[in-house]
Order: sequence, then structure tokens, then C-alpha cells
Amino acid sequence: MDPLDALENQSIYIFREAQRKFKDLAMLWSIGKDSTTLLWLARKAFFGKVPFPLVHIDTGFKHPTMIEYRDRMAKEWEVDLIVGQNEEAICAGMTPEKGRFACCNALKTQGLQQLLDRHGFKGVFLGIRRDEEGSRAKERIFSPRDKNFEWNYKDQPPELWDQFNTSFGPDTHVRIHPLLSWTELDIWEYIRREEIPVCPLYLSKDGKRFRSLGCVPCNFPLDSGASTVDEIIEELKVTKTPERAGRAQDHEAAYMMQKLRSLGYM
Amino acid sequence: MENGRNINDTLRIVIVGHVDHGKSTLIGRLFYDTGSLPGERYREIEATCRAQGRAFEFAYLMDALEEEREHNITIDTAQTFFKTPLRPYIIIDAPGHKEFLKNMITGAAAADAAILLVDGAEGIREQTRRHAYMLSLLGLRQVVVAVNKLDLVGFRRDRFEEVEEEIRGFLLSVGLVPAHVVPISAREGDNIATPSGRTAWYPGPTLLGALDSFSPAREISGLPLRFPVQDIYVGSGRRVYAGRVESGCLRAGSRAVFSPSGKKAVVRSVEKWNQPALPEARAGECVGVTFTEELFVERGEVLSEEGEASPAAREISASLFWLGNDPLRLSSRYVLKLATAEVEAVLSAITERIDSSTLEVTERHANRVENLEVANVTFTLQHPIAADTFKENPRLGRFVVEVDGFVAGGGIVREVRTDRLGRGTRVVRLHSRMMTEPDGNFVDLSQEAGSVEFEVSREFVARLGEGEKVAIRLCTADQLEKIARLAFGYGLGMTFRRGPEGNHVVLFREGPVSQAATEEGFPVI
Repeated sequence: MDPLDALENQSIYIFREAQRKFKDLAMLWSIGKDSTTLLWLARKAFFGKVPFPLVHIDTGFKHPTMIEYRDRMAKEWEVDLIVGQNEEAICAGMTPEKGRFACCNALKTQGLQQLLDRHGFKGVFLGIRRDEEGSRAKERIFSPRDKNFEWNYKDQPPELWDQFNTSFGPDTHVRIHPLLSWTELDIWEYIRREEIPVCPLYLSKDGKRFRSLGCVPCNFPLDSGASTVDEIIEELKVTKTPERAGRAQDHEAAYMMQKLRSLGYM
Repeated sequence: MENGRNINDTLRIVIVGHVDHGKSTLIGRLFYDTGSLPGERYREIEATCRAQGRAFEFAYLMDALEEEREHNITIDTAQTFFKTPLRPYIIIDAPGHKEFLKNMITGAAAADAAILLVDGAEGIREQTRRHAYMLSLLGLRQVVVAVNKLDLVGFRRDRFEEVEEEIRGFLLSVGLVPAHVVPISAREGDNIATPSGRTAWYPGPTLLGALDSFSPAREISGLPLRFPVQDIYVGSGRRVYAGRVESGCLRAGSRAVFSPSGKKAVVRSVEKWNQPALPEARAGECVGVTFTEELFVERGEVLSEEGEASPAAREISASLFWLGNDPLRLSSRYVLKLATAEVEAVLSAITERIDSSTLEVTERHANRVENLEVANVTFTLQHPIAADTFKENPRLGRFVVEVDGFVAGGGIVREVRTDRLGRGTRVVRLHSRMMTEPDGNFVDLSQEAGSVEFEVSREFVARLGEGEKVAIRLCTADQLEKIARLAFGYGLGMTFRRGPEGNHVVLFREGPVSQAATEEGFPVI
């Protein structure tokens, strides 16, 4: 079997398993290439009709191009979109100047947490990949979070043979990671093969492009002339620059990503 | 994953072995020697080492978690990917904290091949043996042994051969034959990517050469069709049965049979979203299936070609590894998950308890299995499920055991015992409601001359655990045998009495039931 087919089948299997096991599911759609690929796979898994809502946490710092693309795709694919914000923190003037860690934690993590609580979602699909950064490499496909959203990465149950841990206590919500085994290159090759429309910010303009999408103040484009998906794939095959090199929070301080993630950051 | 994969496709590997035998250093070296390490990272780590007045340490690369590191390096695990001229590799990381074995098993179960790392100075140790045994139980057959730290023993051939002989002997005893045993020094780079001048006496490949000789294709072609039903989608007037072909080939138009129900059907269509109907689906493909007639089968049933269905197992004997914090106990109830089936099962025998690091049988006919031990056991299932032996079909011959909803162990099926329901068999359901009926806890089978089967609910056993008893009036010796088996399987006590009003059996239970009772019938998932 072709490697992309193998990945696609595994992701579809995970989607169907979660849908069978959990009520009150939602999918986090960050508008980036990974979660858009995830959405595409969900459409495949459920024969065109995604049976759960999509959640976008808007920090208020997102690029207008992302918002325009989000609304256009949501309409075209007929998905149920829920946009959430940590309004309290935004009104209180939370910005990266207050510290990137505090800002990410308030606007993204708590924004998501509030929304999950409000809607009573028990499980969330996320497009994280094992190869993105260190702490994500330790993840399980079905990963429980306790009521404080914390992740105990030191004591995770084993996960083998596609037998996932799907019974969790009432105060637990589960994160489901159908893309865990994919690489950045797999994602782009799949986007090319399936002709999935992606946010235009990924494509080079004036010698720069975004390799990873985040908030405007903390996410910087990289020097690149890759203006088509084909060119992006060629670039990735030779690059030595890490994918998240443009993401400030990864460089801010020691273990910041890990701390963020143990508090519930994606 | 399946047949039809190309030699150039990514190979997933796992690196196992005793703690401190050099895993992190080896991984760092694999990145460095294959040019897979971003320069930025290399310079950061070099600077860290310099600041501490230490030599450059490859081991830092993998120590991504806080308590494993002293310094502030966010590791980019894009680096768990490296490439040889032949193909890309993924190292499935199994970090070394206290719950290492859970992670090791999680990683190894998803790997195509393994490197078993042994310290050449220290020789094989407890975890070397335990991990090798686990690889064998997980069905991993592509293994290369790397004898590391040979720089510490002056690259002496006689020392290497001593370790090689010992490890080959051990691996053979668990049914593994390593493709190669390679003498290496991860720290100094001997025989990782390039042959070392210091081991001129060694004729074999380098470690990367050995990895390149493995195949990403897990050969499961030629096996009969197994399509476990994962879910049923009802919409636009159709029932679509969703699932993954685990082995064999699912063809539109074929006559098929479900196990364990025995229901037969003709496959009308094999479908994927946004594609024309498929003539067939092969192993590894997730599809939707429709049938020519209205069928009602549930998740867990397995579709096969007529005449080659999985047996409907009532009892499963298996080799199992146990990772639970609490011991696995004789006569306790567990949930078994095999393919998409889930069934409550009673652990009815522990024939051998085995120390997974020495392979010694520590006890026969034991009453418990402790964390990290391996055992040969028998489970009696509450209702039949489709199961194959691991030897016949690895995909349908492996299962996990859950405790309180979490996977706590896994095993491979050695033997399946079926209990075919003959025509006219009466199924007698023993459930808690009986206990409150006017005539009390009494079942009258004195008019049932035919064969009977018993189904027992969890609630029923719980009530017996509270001191209730149930009397059963018998007609045949066959009934007595069935009840005796039931008592054996559920850990119940039993007395037999012959009186003027016929033959009676009384079932009871001493001591409370370990698991909290829920509702009638099936386990709550």
C-alpha cells in the first residue's frame, strides 16, 4: 500500500473509532494545513457529512486572510462552525507583551477550555503531529486530560494494535490525534494529491511565506520562493530549518512548549 | 503496513534495551551520521556542552522532556526522522521514565523493525531480555542487535563474540533470530554509517546497512478475508457497514458470512467517499460495505468468505504480558478487546507465570500475574466472539485486556475453543431479576431434555457475591457439566444434591466480587 494511503486509512479508522465511542465530539480547526487536512479526512471517514462541529479559537490576533479562508471553506464544505474567544482576557487587554506564555495560555488554552465547558464536549479531534516538536512526540492517539486540562505524560496507558483507551471518567476529556503519525511532508504530499485548498499564507509572496500559521505578533514568515504546493514539497525535501522556526513561543524560554502543553495547549 | 509496500517506503523502527546501554547516544549518532540534524540544533547543543565545560553529547538530542534534561533545549523531533540513501526512517521514541515498558510496548507494536541495544562491556541485562521477549510477543520479527560501547573494551573480538553468543542464545529461546549482530560504538561512530577500521575482524554490514536490509512490508497476503464491523451508518435508506479489511480481499458480489452470528450475506457494494464503487478492497483499506438484503449485525462481528470464517470462540488460551498496577487475578472479570469486538471474560486459568526477564516459569496454576510478568492463561468469554490463533492470522489473533477502561495488558491467541450451539439448544439466562421472582432463586430444568447453554450477567454474579444462592433442578448429566464449567469460569462454589424431588445443584460464591456491578448483560463501554 502506498504510504499516503496507509496514513489516510489509519486516520479514517481513528475517526470512526472515536465517533463510535464518544458522544459530544468536536474538532479543533486552526485553519492551518494540518487541521484542514484533518477536516478533509473527516469528510472521507463519514462519507461527506462531518457529524460533529468544528471549533476555531480566535485570539483576535489572527491574520485576516485566515478568517476569510475559514468562512469560505466552512460554507463550501457545509460544516457546523463554532468560533470561540476568551473574551474576558481579550477585554482585559491580554497581549503577547504581557508574556508569550501567559498570552498563549489565556487566549488559546483557556479560550478552548471555556468553550469545551460551555458546550460540554467530551472529546476533541486535534491535528497535532508527532514530528512537530519534542513534547508532541510523546503523545498517544487517544490522550486523556483531567478536569484541570492537565496531561500526565509520565504515566500514560499503553496503546497498541489500534485498541484505544476510550473509557474515561466524567471529569476527563479526551484529545484524539488522527494525524499523529503524519509528517509535514506527508501533509503537503497529501494536499497535492487530494487537491485540498489551503490558506494562501502558506504560498510565497514577495519572497516570504508562512510555514506554520499562528497569531500575527508571534508568528513570522520565512524566506522562501515556494509559491505552489509543488514548490513547497521540493523545498521541504531539502530544508534543514525546523517547521516551527517562525513560532516565537517555541523559542521564548526553556520548556515553554512543554509547560504550555501540560497545561492544555495543543 | 501491508503487502504492496515499496522497499523505499519509510521504515518505522524502535530502539530497545537496558537503561544506560546508549540509546540516546545512538539516536543522536544516527541523526548526525545521516546528515538529518538541523545545523541550528547541533550548534545549540555544542554551545550548551561548551558552557558546561563538557564534550559534545549526542545523548542530549533525545532528552526532550524536562526532567530528563539539565538545559534549555527544545528538541525538534523532526529529528526522529533520518534518511539513508535507500529510504527514510522514523524512530518511534520510547522515553526512559518509570513507565518505560508501557511506552516501549506502545512504540514496538507500531514498528516494522527493532534495534536491540546491548552494552558490550556490561553484557545482556534484565531489560535486554525483557524487551526481547516483548518484541517476540508483539510479533516483531525483524530485529538487529547492536553491541555498543566496544570502545570501552578495546574493540576486542573475543568479548564481542561472547556477548553475541549469549544474546543469540537468548533470542532463540523466545523465537527470534536477529538479522545481524553488529559491533558498534555509538559515541565514536564505529559501524553506524561507515565500516570501522577497528573491527576489521567483523565481516557484516554496518547498523544502517542492517536496517536497510529490512522490509517495510508486513507480509500478510494469502490470508483469508477478515473484515471486522467497526460501525454502522444509517442514512438515505441504506445501512453502510464501516470497517477495515484486516486481511485478505473483500470483493463486491461475493458470498460472505459473519462470525460469530453465522449470518450470511451477499456483498452488494464496497465504497469510499467521493469515488465510484470499488470492485474490491484489500488489507488495510477502510471502506463502507452494503449487502443485497437487509441485515442486522453489530459492531464486533467479522465478515469472511463462506467456508473460511473465524471460529466463534467461547474460550481463548493466550500468552499475555501484564502492565497493570494491580495484579491480574484468577476468576476475576476483565474486558477483552479483539479487533472491534469487546467481551467480558473471566480469567479461568493461569497455567504458567513467567518472569519476563529470565523466562523462568515462576509458578504453575497460579492465582495471579504481577506487573511486568508474562503468563500463559485461559479466558472464558461471556459470549462468543470471532477469533483466530495468532499463528493463523496475526490481525485477529491478538487482543488487549482492559481494567477500569484502560489497557493493562495484551496477548496473542494460542488456542481457540468453540462451543457450537446445536439446533434446539436452549439458552438459559441467569440474571439478577431471577433473584427477586416469587419462587426465589430457583431454575427448573427438569423438563429440558435437550442441550442447554448458560449466559450469566455480571449483576447475577455480584448478587451471589453478596451471599445469595441459586438452586437449579437438573434433568441431564450434560446440564451438570455445563453448570460445573460455569462455576469454574466464574469462580463460583457448587454443591450437588440428589433428593426425592430430583437432582439439584446449588451455586454460591464466597467473598465479594471484585468489580462493581453495573447493569444487566453487556459491559458498559
